[in-house]
Order: sequence, then structure tokens, then C-alpha cells
Amino acid sequence: MNQPTQSRRDFFARTSDGLLGAALAQMLGADFFGQSATASDDALPPHGSGIYDLTPKPVHHPATAKSVIQLFMNGGPSQMDLFDPKPLLGKMDGQPYPGNVEEIGNTGTSDVGVMLGGKYKFDRHGESGMWMADVLPHTAQMADDLCMIHSMWTDHPNHDNALYKIHSGRLFMGYPTLGAWTVYGLGSENQNLPAYVVLSDPLGLPKNGTRNWTAGFLPPVYQGTPFRPTGSPILNLKPQFDQPDAVTETARDLLKQLDQHHRNDRQYDAQLDARIQSYGLAARMQLSASEALDLSGETAETLSMYGVGAAPTDSFARRCLLARRLVERGVRYVQIFLEEQPWDSHVDLEDNHRAACERTDRPVAALLKDLKRSGMLDSTLVIWGGEFGRTPTSQRSGDLYTGRDHNMQAFTSWMAGGGIKGGTSYGKTDEFGHKVIEDPVSVHDFHATILHALGLHHQKLFFNRSGLEERLTGVQPPRVVHEILA
Amino acid sequence: MRRSAFQFATGVGTLKASGMTLKIAPRPRTGCQRVVVAIAAACTLVLFAMASDVTAAPPMFEDAVEAVLATKCGKCHSGEVQKGELDLSSMTGVRRGGESGDPLLAESIDDSRLWSVIADGEMPPDGEPPLDADERKSIHTWIEAGGHSKVAAESKSETVDQHDVLPILLLRCNTCHGPRIRQAGVDLRSRAAMIAGGKNGPAMIPGDADASPMIRRIESHACPPSESLLKFFVRRPTQAETQTLRQWIDAGAPLAGATLAGATQASDPEPSSRAVADEDRQHWAFQPPVATSRFQSIDAFILDRLAENDLTLAPTADRDTLIRRAHVDLIGLPPSPDEYLFWRDSDDPNWYAQMIDRLLASNHYGERWGRYWLDLAGYADSEGGISADPIRKVAWKYRDYVIRAFNDDKPYDQFLLEQLAGDELVDYQNADTVTDAIVDQLIATGFLRMGIDETGSRTMNFVPERLKVISDAITVVSEGLMGLTMECARCHSHKYDPIPHRDYYRLKAVFQGALDEHDWDSFKTRTLNVATPEHRRKVAEKNPPLEKQIKQLQGQQKQWTADLQLQLLRDHYPDQSEDDNRATLNALKKADNNRTLKQKILVERLVKAELRPDSHQSERVLSLRQQIEDADRQIDRVRRKMAPPLAIRALWDLGRPSPTYVLRRGEHDKPGDPVAAGVPAVLTDQRNPFVVTPPFPDGTAKTGRRLALARWLTNPNHPLTARVMVNRIWHHHFGTGLVKDLENFGVQGERPSHPELLDWLAIEFIRRGWSIKEMHRLIMNSRVYQQSSQVTERAHQVDPQNRLLSHMNLRRMDAEALRDSLLAIAGRLDTTPGGLPDTVSIDRDGLVSANATDGGGWRRSVYLQYRRTEIPTMMDTFDYPQMGPNCLSRNVSTVSPQALMLMNNGRVRELAAAMARRVETIVGDKNSDDDDSNDEATVETVYQLALSRSPSDRERTLGTESLQQLRSAWGDNSAKALETYCHTILNSASFLYVD
Repeated sequence: MNQPTQSRRDFFARTSDGLLGAALAQMLGADFFGQSATASDDALPPHGSGIYDLTPKPVHHPATAKSVIQLFMNGGPSQMDLFDPKPLLGKMDGQPYPGNVEEIGNTGTSDVGVMLGGKYKFDRHGESGMWMADVLPHTAQMADDLCMIHSMWTDHPNHDNALYKIHSGRLFMGYPTLGAWTVYGLGSENQNLPAYVVLSDPLGLPKNGTRNWTAGFLPPVYQGTPFRPTGSPILNLKPQFDQPDAVTETARDLLKQLDQHHRNDRQYDAQLDARIQSYGLAARMQLSASEALDLSGETAETLSMYGVGAAPTDSFARRCLLARRLVERGVRYVQIFLEEQPWDSHVDLEDNHRAACERTDRPVAALLKDLKRSGMLDSTLVIWGGEFGRTPTSQRSGDLYTGRDHNMQAFTSWMAGGGIKGGTSYGKTDEFGHKVIEDPVSVHDFHATILHALGLHHQKLFFNRSGLEERLTGVQPPRVVHEILA
Repeated sequence: MRRSAFQFATGVGTLKASGMTLKIAPRPRTGCQRVVVAIAAACTLVLFAMASDVTAAPPMFEDAVEAVLATKCGKCHSGEVQKGELDLSSMTGVRRGGESGDPLLAESIDDSRLWSVIADGEMPPDGEPPLDADERKSIHTWIEAGGHSKVAAESKSETVDQHDVLPILLLRCNTCHGPRIRQAGVDLRSRAAMIAGGKNGPAMIPGDADASPMIRRIESHACPPSESLLKFFVRRPTQAETQTLRQWIDAGAPLAGATLAGATQASDPEPSSRAVADEDRQHWAFQPPVATSRFQSIDAFILDRLAENDLTLAPTADRDTLIRRAHVDLIGLPPSPDEYLFWRDSDDPNWYAQMIDRLLASNHYGERWGRYWLDLAGYADSEGGISADPIRKVAWKYRDYVIRAFNDDKPYDQFLLEQLAGDELVDYQNADTVTDAIVDQLIATGFLRMGIDETGSRTMNFVPERLKVISDAITVVSEGLMGLTMECARCHSHKYDPIPHRDYYRLKAVFQGALDEHDWDSFKTRTLNVATPEHRRKVAEKNPPLEKQIKQLQGQQKQWTADLQLQLLRDHYPDQSEDDNRATLNALKKADNNRTLKQKILVERLVKAELRPDSHQSERVLSLRQQIEDADRQIDRVRRKMAPPLAIRALWDLGRPSPTYVLRRGEHDKPGDPVAAGVPAVLTDQRNPFVVTPPFPDGTAKTGRRLALARWLTNPNHPLTARVMVNRIWHHHFGTGLVKDLENFGVQGERPSHPELLDWLAIEFIRRGWSIKEMHRLIMNSRVYQQSSQVTERAHQVDPQNRLLSHMNLRRMDAEALRDSLLAIAGRLDTTPGGLPDTVSIDRDGLVSANATDGGGWRRSVYLQYRRTEIPTMMDTFDYPQMGPNCLSRNVSTVSPQALMLMNNGRVRELAAAMARRVETIVGDKNSDDDDSNDEATVETVYQLALSRSPSDRERTLGTESLQQLRSAWGDNSAKALETYCHTILNSASFLYVD
């Protein structure tokens, strides 16, 4: 599916749909698809030539997903309240934790509270009989498309570090994210839009800000491009000054002639071609980005299915719908964030989680349905989850015992579509939902599995940095979780 | 080993990690694996109960695999050469294993490291003959059958000594019983101190663990105290560790070899000699530069290689090109119109050499070339690592030191001495008067403090995070100064370069006196207040009233902020009660994690109100916002009037290093052998030994290790130091180095294109007193540098990458040169040097831009504030690097956001307008009524100003025609037409690229 022979056709089908002319197709054709399309077994970085671009790259093995939508649930949703029911917690509610409290406390033991029963009612859903809490009625309808991974674990109980870890595989800042690695490895099928788009919440940036989509040491062309849902979607996309169209056209024409003149005297310098193209792309991006953002062509049925226009779903619904539109246009990786960290429920978990579910449940389910009915779910991998889970005990906050602390030892994430075995639950936690006891999935394993679905092998996807081969999944070999792949 | 990776995957710890331990399995040890293994055992499943049921005649090592291992692995793992400290020539060696401590054989084939490295294709390494199918099969069969040998395993008696115990105590107990704090008077860093104990008697009774208070306290969890686990960033000893402590005490607390304190000062107990073969030393870069008598000029070396390929130099570039090239190259700015005309019209035959001298004497030179060094050091104005990304208040002093050093042409050897060991050059603690030189040398040590540092955070100050900071400093030194990649050796011996695992830790020991993970200063405590009397006087005189002003302004600002928030709430939620409004303000004072639901909702409402666009805000809100912003500027202005603070961000030796241990697989809780301070074994020989002597025997205690490193590095016989630096200089002049990878002179790096020239330059560099300016003169006065960038078809075919230098490379301006040139051409460059970095603003779209200075201009890009999370968008877009930890050569990307930036950004457009005004002024003098001739003069001036040349005929025609068209498109507005024309020229390839 990533073979340019095929995607080339798709691409031109897309780019010549009235927005862009045949001249463009010709211009792009020569340069963007000049690279060899054969997938090779050589462990070569995808950019052996030293040219870093977003042209489609061959996969390492046949892919089951060609794009990813990551619904990032910042703050750490509670596994035992949403997906991984632990009746024992209810029975022991209010009693002290029976084990060593030092294993629970993240900031010492003084604020470790008592056992806290699950806050919502659980039921089995779908043919698979998947457990889900009643605060997720819409997601529950899609149970048979989901694969719940109950055995996720990470290495740090702080938001900052756990976020670096879940996005870049490292506990520290400065490393490329999964999205950056993905577009480095695969390029993009649409050269008129960024390959890696971030849809952050108009209410504010998530914790760790723009570092959640950094290219780290990879060339900056692979970093996530935030699209703002209102106004101009990309920095500097629209002129920040007024000028008549005739002026813009004259200036553009002059520039083209000057650059061509400059180029003619320096005929062997390929970088000058790239530069001339970058100006062309910039101009076209102004059109495509605005078009992709325009929801006016969506039916009323679709809008209402997502919850566009209705409180409290509107904002998240718009981003989910936008994600579908972007993936449809060949964007490789879309990341959706919520502001700051709404899942972080140290107090009032019951209300906080309910509120977060109310904002996201309907749009998320609608996204899955929408992708499914258009057949796109088969090639789109949807990922839902946060940076860690929560503790079986409450966290003492003053004299309140109403929320849970961070838990790096177990959390639940789910995946759907893109070659994932739907209706499955994978991995087990102990009777408290506190630790993984079966089939642990590390963050590296999680990443390796996603790369695998995208047709990338974690070992072969590397970047040579100062003589070191850097990989998303680090030095120790991770495990692709084949059990969850269809 | 996956299971074990599951438990301690990164080794980064929290209190909970111990909870992940699934099973504690004591592990059979051999003599060399030390008892430290016990720690590893705690996190390892039972892997090693070797097959006990002997079936019929299993294959034997001697018959089945010995020969294969000797043929295919023997080159690196034999009795003589032991890469990774591994000997595969005998069963004893196989049983002992290598430096990782992982068992080569195991209960199941999947857990056998010997098999996994073969199966994964990791070994033999690329370039060595692989194992064939039969060989793989015989090894597989042999391991699966239990890995038998005719030679029985020797049963060695276990010995436990201080080096098994000390790492445990350092990790678990040192904080309260070590160099900084001695709870109850107890110091647990040596046997003697343990016996001496504290106010409650001895802590340890040799021969009797049960009776030793330290064991009792550990086992009862009295120590470390539960409430201070996080406060002091420690975790309890594991059961296996406690077992080791017991074993040692019961055995009478034996000491092996050197005493504890001396352990790392003695020479290396087990030199790396076998891990580094003589053959390894033969690599070109590990041999000192060789003098040649063949040629004595750059041109001769280059022409020789060109001739071999039937090529020659391109003709010398025209004068305009040379003027622009030299200016951008040396000072990162175009010449002013007057300067341009001066050099263009000079009839002095020596004009070019004079121009180079003039540029080298300019203070802008240091701003340009110092920036390259700041990249190498990984300069940043913030700590990074955590969300808050705290500002590094006085990092700029190091930036100014570097710029000064380049402007003064400080000899490179002295420059390195100061940055690596400025604190060990003069005993500043006992100096009669503090001089400028002393202060400068201490500021210079900021070089080793530039990396990302999260250890100032309460929850990020564990040993692993500290080790990361140390490792970043080692990377800067090894890659930046030696062109060696050592990072791999942190976890295992380097696969390609002869850098054993042990050598990494020997180098780490060099820094242990100052960067000690067991004796750590966080960024809050690592400043020195060393200042000259003059400086102190100025601070005392000048600053108090200014500080008072700032406090006042901040107080006002706080009040306005509260007013603003209340106003927002009243405007947007007229129904919300005043009580709730007040409660919102109170809620803001609490950390977001600790807010109640109600508080969260209130805050969320406020945030929503704040985010409404300006058109939906009341006038009062807008004016309060303006007041607050103005106050920010005022505070900044007052701050700039103050004498600089006394604080210096330095690195200094504490004179009490804890011992350094090899960390198996780089994991902080898997210590191996102790090591002494040292440098890579492959680089040491009699001509340049590494000798450590404490520098002030009668003064302040310092280890002198970094001073030894600096002296060793700057010894003229060092094979790398001079070569790496001249190659860097060459790289910045030509766009590519003689050795392409600036950071990799190792075996895997590309060979130099002109090895003799590189050596000649290195020797000249040292001969000319390590003068960097002399190297510029040498290079820039060559014909090679002055040739045109025109490429012939033949050159393109024979040498498409231009490694032979048959022409000059066309280069894109980097972010700094581009931005500074834009400002200079627009006449908006404020050339004030040094001091506090200029602040930036972030607009609602996330666009980060520099704030203008008082004069309404902007200073050079090197003086902007580089907070890691707020890199100015213009810089970021044009490949300003992420410092992780540093950047040795920048990417040059060509992406559409750059086009969008130059085309659409409002600031760039403003600069184009300012340029247009300048052009009008210049042309105005010779104004005529004839539009056509005016346009010609305008085009000429625009080209001189922006591109330091005259337009070609075609460009002139295009220019005049466009001006006409633009005038009509703008409704006959000549001023606007000129702005657009200037804007277009600033977007053109001619501007962005330098020939």
C-alpha cells in the first residue's frame, strides 16, 4: 500500500481535483517519486542519500495500517474505573492497602490513602463481552473493534517523564516522537499538507507543550505541525499584512523568474530546485490546509454523530472529524490532545473522569464508526490512552479520599483498526489493578507494535546521529505484540 | 532477559520499582563477577540452573564449537584480544562471560546471550565473515543441549570486599551518612568510619552482621526512614543487597587492594590493554599528525589531488562575490553600502588580505565564530528537562566569555584548559585578590554545565538523572573535542571503535571530583559568588535602588493581573458571584493537581474568558493587558541598568570524589569493577601520558583530574585535538570538513579527503600558537577559498560531492546569518554586545519572536534568549538546533515553512519596508523626474544593499519592469511598490545563498 506506483495514482487523483493543476502534477512527479520504490531488506535508514524529505518511502514489510490517529488522554486515565474492573477494590473500600505502601506512594507514603472502590458500573459489551464502565456508552458500542491492552507499564510516575516516555520512548526531553519516526520512515502521501499533524485543544497546550510532537534530533521536517482549529491553521500560513492579490501575483512571478535566473547559472546545485519547490508547496499548502479544515461539506448526520455543535463534545468532536478528513487526504500521523491534563484525578475522580468521558466518548466512537463505514478503519490505526494509570488506593488530599495517584506499573490503552484484532483484551493486572501480572507490554513494545502495523521494523528504522544508530525503541530489543495483530 | 528488562528496563528508579521484582533468585557467581551480582540477581529470573540431567553424549565445547568460535570470533574474543572483556577461546572464558555480566549460556536457548547476538545478526559485526548455517546450527545444538564441556567448572570461593558493598551504601545510605550530612555522626563511606560509627557507637561490627546497627536499621526499615525516601531521592536496599552487606560484615569486612579512598586514585587495577589491541592504535586518527615536506600550502595539497583526477581549481571569484563571501563567513553580516563600495573600489593590490584582517579585527567576528562554539557546548538559557524549563539566569556570562575568547584570539589550548579545568588553574579560594582572569576561568567551566539538567526538580534528582547529566558532559568533551563517539561505551564496549566499556567509566572518573552522582549540586546550588572587588563595589553601589524599583513594578503588576482576572470574570460571566470570582483567584494560587473540582471549574471558566479574541474583550481588559506588558518591559529595562550579578554558573572540584565503578549495561544499580581516572587507552602512549597531580598541595583540595585531562588533550602530541579543531574551522569555511563527520574520527567515520593537508594544518595550528585567527588567514588567503562556485560539467561528473574542491560550495545562510543580515539591511540592527539575553514574546498562535530593544531595533541573534521551550520561530524554522546535549553540525533543511516565514511573516515584511525607506534615502540624493532612470537607480541600490553587488542585465530589466507593475498593482503607490520589491529580493535565492 505504500508502493508509490499505487499511491502516485491516488496522489494525483487527489491533487488534481480542481485545487491543483496538471502543471503541479508534472512538477511533483519528477522529483517526489524519483526514488526507488522497492522495499529492501537492508538495514538502511530511509534517507541514505542524506536528503530529508516527505516523499513516500518503501516499507520494510507489508503494512496493515497506513496512517495513525492517536487520541492522547493526557493525565493518566484510571484503568480500574474505566476498563479493568476490580471488584475487590469495592469490597475493600476504605481499608488500608494490604501490601507495602511504599510500592504505592510516588512522593513518599504520607499521602497514600485507603483502598478506593471503582467509581462506575461495569458491563460486558459486544460479542466479545468486553468490560467497560457506564461512563463510556458510545465507545462501548464499538467494543468488538477495540483491542484493550491491560498490561501497559512505564518507568516513571511523573507526568513530564512519563509523557516523554510514551511519546518518544525516552524519559527525557529531546528525542523524536513516534509520529516523527513514523513520517521519517514512511514519508507522506500528500505533499500539500504536513505529514504529521497535531490537533491540540483550543483551551491550551497539553502538559509538556510542543515537546509532545518534537522531531528531537531528526531533521525538523519530521516534527508535528500543530493545526489550530480556528483562524490560520499553520504558523505564517496567511500573510500577516494586507496586500492586493495583484501585488502577490506580481511578486510571486518576479520571485520565480529571479530564482530561475539564479538557478540557470548554477545548474548542478540540486538544493536550489528543492528551494524553488518549497515555495510552490508553501503556496499550495495555503489552499489545501484551509480546504481540509473546512467542515461545511460534512452532512448534518455526520456532524451530529460526532457531537459537533453540542456541549460538551463540540471541541473534541471537531478535532476527531478533522482527523478523519486529514487521514483521508493522506496525512500519515494525526495526534489529538486535550488541554493540560484533564484525566489527572488526584481528587474528585468520579466527577473528573465523568467530565472527561462526556467530552470525548461520543466523538471517539463516532470517529471509529465513521472510519469503519468508509472502509478507512482497515488502514487507519486508532490509539487511545495516556502516559500511565492510577493507583488502587485513594490519594489523601487534606481530609479527602476522592482521587487516585499516578501508577506507572499498570495502565490500559486501546487500539483499533489498521490490522488490530478487534474484540480482544490483552494482558492481566493483579487483583487490585496495581501491577501487571501477565503479558506485560512496555512502552518500547507498544511502539514496536505500532511500527510493525505501519510496515516498519523497529530495528531497521534508525537515524545515524554522531556515529550512534538511534532508534525509537532503544538498544534492548523490544517485543512486537503479535498476539493483538489480526 | 526480557523479564528482567520488564522490571528495571531503564533503571530509572522510583520507590515503586522494587515492587516490580517478581522473584529473588540468588545467582551462582564466579570470582570475577563480584558480589555486586547480587543486586542484579534481585531483578533476574532463574535463568541459570544449568541442565542437570545429562542425556546420552551431549556435544562438548571442545568438539562442537571451540573451532568455530576461534575462527569466527577469535579476532576480537580470544586469549590475547578481549573486546568487551570476553574470551571465547576456552570454556573458562565462556563461563566467565563478558563485561555485561549476562550469562552467555542459559537454561533456554532464548535466554542465551551467546545465541541471541548470533541470531540477531549483532555478531560478528558488519564487515566480518558471518557464521554459516552449519556453524550456527552446531552452536545452537550445543547450547540447547546444555553447553557442556570436558573441562569441569572450577568452583571458586566467593570473596566479598569493600567494592561489593560500597556501591550499595553510596546508592542507599550516602545521602544521610556521607559527605554532606552525617546523621547521628555516622559516615558510611569507609570501613574505618563504619567501625568508628557515631554518637550511638559503632555502625558496624566486623564479623557480626546481626549485631551491627547498620544492618538492624536497614532490616527494620528504620533506615532509610520512610518519610525521607523521596526527600533525599533514595530507595531501600533490596533484599539481595542487604544480604551482600551481611555477608561482607560476617566475613570480617575485608578490604581488597587499595583502600576505599584510594581506590580510584591508584592506577587502574586491570588496565584495558587486552581490550585494545596494538592494531587498533594504527587507525590514522589515533596516531599523531605526520609532518610532510611534499607541500607547504593549502593550494598545493588541493591542486595535487585535483590533478590526479584531471581537474583543477575554478577561476577566482569576482570581487563582489569575495566581499560578500568573506563578510558573511567571518562576521555573519553583509558589508554596509559604504564598506561595500570601499572594498569594491579599492585599487590596493592587497585589498583582499586587508579586508580579511579588518574583518578579523571586528567584534562581530566573535559573535559569528563564538556561536559555532556555543553549538558545540550546547549553550542554552534554560535548564530543560522539566515542564517549567527554568531559566539559567547567568548562562549568558559563558556566552560572553566565548565571544570574547574568539575576539581576543585566545590560544585554543588555553581556551580548552580554562573550560575544562578553570577551577584547577588557580586556587581561587586562597587567592589574595580575585582578578578578572580568575573570574573568567571560572566562568569558562560553564562549558561542562550546559547540558539538559532536570536534577533541580524535587522528583528528578535520582542517581540515574544525575548520570544522564554527566553523560551529556562526556559527550560534549568526547565528540566535540576529540571527535570520538563514546556514548555506546556507556553500556558496552564500542562495537567498532576500540573504546572498551571500562574506558568510558575511566573518563567519567575524570569528572568525578566535580560531577559526582553521590555528591551532587543541583542547579540551585551550583553557582559561585566569586567576583573582583571592583565588581562587588559596583553591585553594592548601583543595584539596591534598582532592585527596589523592580520590586515595586512587580507589586503593581501583580495587582493589575488580579484586576484583569476579575474584570474578565465580570465581563464574561455577569451572573457569577463576586465570591466565586475571588475564589477563582485563590484557586490560581494552588497547584493544578491540588485544586478541588469546583476550583478547577472556576479556573477553567477564567481560562476560557482569557482565550476569547481581543475583539470580544472590554476596553478595560485590553488596557490592563497593555499595562502588564509595559511593566514587563520596564522591569527588563531596569534589570539591564543593574551591574551584573556576582553569581557564576561554574563547575568546581570538591576534592572528595566517591569511587567510580563500571556500570554494567550502563545501569546505575549494576556496578562492576572500580576504575581509576583515565583517558581512552587507545590514545595513550609514552609521548603523552595522562598524569593526575592535585594542583594545590598546600591549598584547597582538588583532584586535579580535569586539569590532567586538559593538559593531556592540549599536548602537541595528542592525535586528535588539533586535527578536530582545524577540521571544524575548515567545515565552517567550506560547508564540509576534510573529515566529513566532525564528531567521528573513529574507525566508522569517513576517512579525510586530504589526509596530508589535515595533518599539515594541524601541525601549523600548533606551530602558530594554536591561533584560530591565523587559521582563518591561512585558509581564506588561499586560492582554494577564493575560487568561484561555478561547477563544470566534468567536475560534476567526476566529483559530484565536491570532496576534491574544484570549486567553492554554494551555501545557505544559517539562521543567525539570515536574521542578522535582514536586520542589518533594514537598518534595524542594534549592535550592542553582550549581557542579559533579549527576551522573546509568544503570540497566541505560538509564534515566538524577539522583543525589540529600547532603540526600536533588534540585537544580533546570538544575544537572544534561548530557552529550550521557546526557541524563536525564525531561528527554529531555519534549523537552529535542539541542544541534546549539543550540536556539532547543523542540518540544512529546505522546507516550505521557511518559505511561509519569509513570504508571510509580518516582521519580515516590516523589515522589507524599512529597507525600502533606506533605499529611498540613498536614491533620493540623485533623484530625477524620469521614472525609468529612477527605477534603474533603485534596482542598483537594492542589489548593493541586499546582495553586495550590481544586478545583471536580466535582473535589472526584471527589476524595473516589476517596479512598474507593482506600482500599478498598488494603485500607483511607489513606496508600497518598492517595499514589495525589497521583500521579494529578500525572499530570493540570491539572498539566501552565498556563492
